Amino acid sequence: MTSETAASARATAASPRTEPLEPAETRETSSRRARPAWTARFGLRLSALYLWILFMALFSLISPGTFLTSTNFRIVFSQGIVTCVLALAFLVPLAAGVYDLSVGAVMSLALAVSVYLQIHSGLSPVLGAVIALVACVLCGFVSGFIVVRLRVNSFIATLGVGQILFAVVLLISGNQQLTGTFPSFWSKLGNSDVAGIPIVALFLLAIAVVLWYAFEYTRVGRYLFATGGNPDAARLSGVRTDRVVWGSLIASATIAGFAGVIYSMQDGIFSSSIGPGYLFPAVAAVFLGASQLSRRPNVWGTLIAYFALAFGIQGLVLSASSASVWSQPLFQGVSLIIAVALASRPAMRKLRAVQASRENKGS
Amino acid sequence: MRDDVPVLSIRGMSKTFPGTKALHLVDFNLHHGEVHALVGQNGSGKSTLIKILAGYHSPDPGTLIELDGEELHIHNTAASHAAGLRFVHQDLGLVHDLNTVENLALGRGFQTGFGGRIRWRAERRDAERRMKALGYQFDVSRPVGELKAAERTGIAIARALHDCEQARVLVVDEPTAALPRHEVKVLFDAIDHVRRMGLGVIYVSHRLDEIFRIADQVSVLRGGSRIGTYGTGEIDQDRLISLMIGDEQMRPPQLRDYAGKDDVVLEAHSLCGVVVDNAELVVRRGEVVGIAGLTGSGREEILGLMFGVASRHGDVLVDGRRVPASTRGAIDAGISLVPADRRGAGAITTLTVSENCTLTDLRRHSRRGGAIRRTAERQEVAEWIRDLDIRPPRPESIFATLSGGNQQKVVLAKWLRCKPRVLLLDEPTQGVDVHAKATIHALAREVATSGCAVLMASSDDAELCDTCDRVLVLRDGRIAADVHGDRLTPEEIARLQLESPIAT
Repeated sequence: MTSETAASARATAASPRTEPLEPAETRETSSRRARPAWTARFGLRLSALYLWILFMALFSLISPGTFLTSTNFRIVFSQGIVTCVLALAFLVPLAAGVYDLSVGAVMSLALAVSVYLQIHSGLSPVLGAVIALVACVLCGFVSGFIVVRLRVNSFIATLGVGQILFAVVLLISGNQQLTGTFPSFWSKLGNSDVAGIPIVALFLLAIAVVLWYAFEYTRVGRYLFATGGNPDAARLSGVRTDRVVWGSLIASATIAGFAGVIYSMQDGIFSSSIGPGYLFPAVAAVFLGASQLSRRPNVWGTLIAYFALAFGIQGLVLSASSASVWSQPLFQGVSLIIAVALASRPAMRKLRAVQASRENKGS
Repeated sequence: MRDDVPVLSIRGMSKTFPGTKALHLVDFNLHHGEVHALVGQNGSGKSTLIKILAGYHSPDPGTLIELDGEELHIHNTAASHAAGLRFVHQDLGLVHDLNTVENLALGRGFQTGFGGRIRWRAERRDAERRMKALGYQFDVSRPVGELKAAERTGIAIARALHDCEQARVLVVDEPTAALPRHEVKVLFDAIDHVRRMGLGVIYVSHRLDEIFRIADQVSVLRGGSRIGTYGTGEIDQDRLISLMIGDEQMRPPQLRDYAGKDDVVLEAHSLCGVVVDNAELVVRRGEVVGIAGLTGSGREEILGLMFGVASRHGDVLVDGRRVPASTRGAIDAGISLVPADRRGAGAITTLTVSENCTLTDLRRHSRRGGAIRRTAERQEVAEWIRDLDIRPPRPESIFATLSGGNQQKVVLAKWLRCKPRVLLLDEPTQGVDVHAKATIHALAREVATSGCAVLMASSDDAELCDTCDRVLVLRDGRIAADVHGDRLTPEEIARLQLESPIAT
């Protein structure tokens, strides 16, 4: 035997599992790169914005007298604030790969506590709101405990917590509609403008900006997306993933609490049906928004997605009176499915690549 | 050799991958009722041969495969299955939450009665009968996860043979790698039952002592060629090892100044994990130490144990201080791990190169409030990209789109920037091109020269010899040898890995 055979043996030693894999991968990558970048960037990435424009154009033509009015815009925007805040609440744990399905119930709790305190105590509504928010923080803490310490799947854990909170809310309200008599400054916060912009919209904007900044420009945001991308790899890189998940659930409960407080400013009435109904539109907006602008859940994508859908729904409502009943669930159901289908396309590709590599690996 | 027509006959099988020839004109005969062992070092072509039979790869033109004398074309896995070739892979593919009855029915379907009702009683009887046919007797209604490893392997065999009349060849790939020694006999009884059913069995294993217990014939592959086929009665283990390794000239020993590096950086004392058993090791400043071992020897486990990935017994010390048994503790003590599973554990494939790179220490680029100084971050990543020649040289490209070699460089960069005291490399060049491989080896040496301790586990013996000052050989969870100096050759390391406890 010559050393030549030894060399060739060694060459083969590395090759059977590597060689067939690498070229295949490069090929896939280059074909993805070969596609004109603008379709990737401006095609699907802004689809919700196109949808929005389409709805505006369409319904302006169908019902010009009612759709293109400032009143209509005000209605859509002010109705949407609470849902948008709730969507942002859902967004935070989702970035870390965790579902918080209790956001609707938490919002309901915050509202119930605020209104209840207003009726049964002489506390200022500001203090009432603070107490309500503290209760929400506690809820988030408990959810975090269940997910992180008891190792319960977040989907199940928060679904359960949501139901328990629903029970608490029913207990507080005695399953009755509660009407709080808030001082006028409180309802003014909910229903007046500053420089032509509703104050509640400014609240939303403030929360959105803070979250956006945290996501994109701070360590916390990096840790959130690292945990959401691959919790094992994140942990091996030194990220304290348990804290990240726990923290994200506390944050989501707190933001959901804000949604409840804002609702108390706008309306001041509690009924047990209010919270849970807001969950689905919020979730739909987040998932559709995750395919917008960037490739991961993000703040502005969520807001754009929500309002694109909201204007579509409002347009239908205005053009066909019966649509007010069915248009909302229809739109949100369709959009959620489309959004997730869009998002799973790259996921499917990745899955196939992983499978291919598995087949080529192992001796 | 018997005279009857072999159940499986391969003539002139070759397989060329871009850049290499994995198999070269291999002939192979398998008879009815024969257990034929296939042995060879990593990369000798065993896996390729089996993957061709299974229909994952197609052979080069000119290859002739005959089954009971009839020519056979295996284009895909379905064709392979239809021809009666059955496989039990190392990863058995059982669902641990389901019981034996259900696992056996997976892929085949249940017997159903009226209205699609599953006939559970018939299924259960059937499962019991089939397990009994292989010599097993255990509760088939218990979840598979609660059974012994050897029993699980039996279920995988029974499932592979669910249509006995059609199955003609059973290929068992490394069935004992994950099996405790005392359970091996149970498996051998099962294989013996299969043999008596008249099937041909191809048995792939690294554990040579087993081959003499179970196989009738043994074929040795080396560098993609068949070196020879022998009856297990006419050959002994030492001869088999030298056939697998080849009796070429020993490589000239590489001279390295091994003495004079006395500062111990990393120590492990009575380190125990699932497989790893009372490992003692010491790595000094400036040393690159290799860990060799067969699959299942503990080689895949030992670095993770030191990094606190899995629970462990025993102590790990860095610079004389005890390291807590957690990932954070290990990182804080200055240990870095480049894991073997790059996509699953080494990096977050959906994030960018830059985000992956700086994740290990973001504080460096943070203001007091936690905001990241992005220019500084970009600058640092750009430097790493330049230093390690990462392509494409864009910090914002998504990690998943990089080639294997470049991905590994990013993973290295993310740890090197932490200036580790101890660098643990697990299969650092697996799935990596030749160029990146050289870069990674050079880096390992460079890191050691700068005063660190480097520990590198690899299944590539040549790589260990080229890069390491000395190599620890793991066998059955224990450190069986510490090889350095003149003895440090791939042949010697391969020999030490293969030697069975009986032979020593």
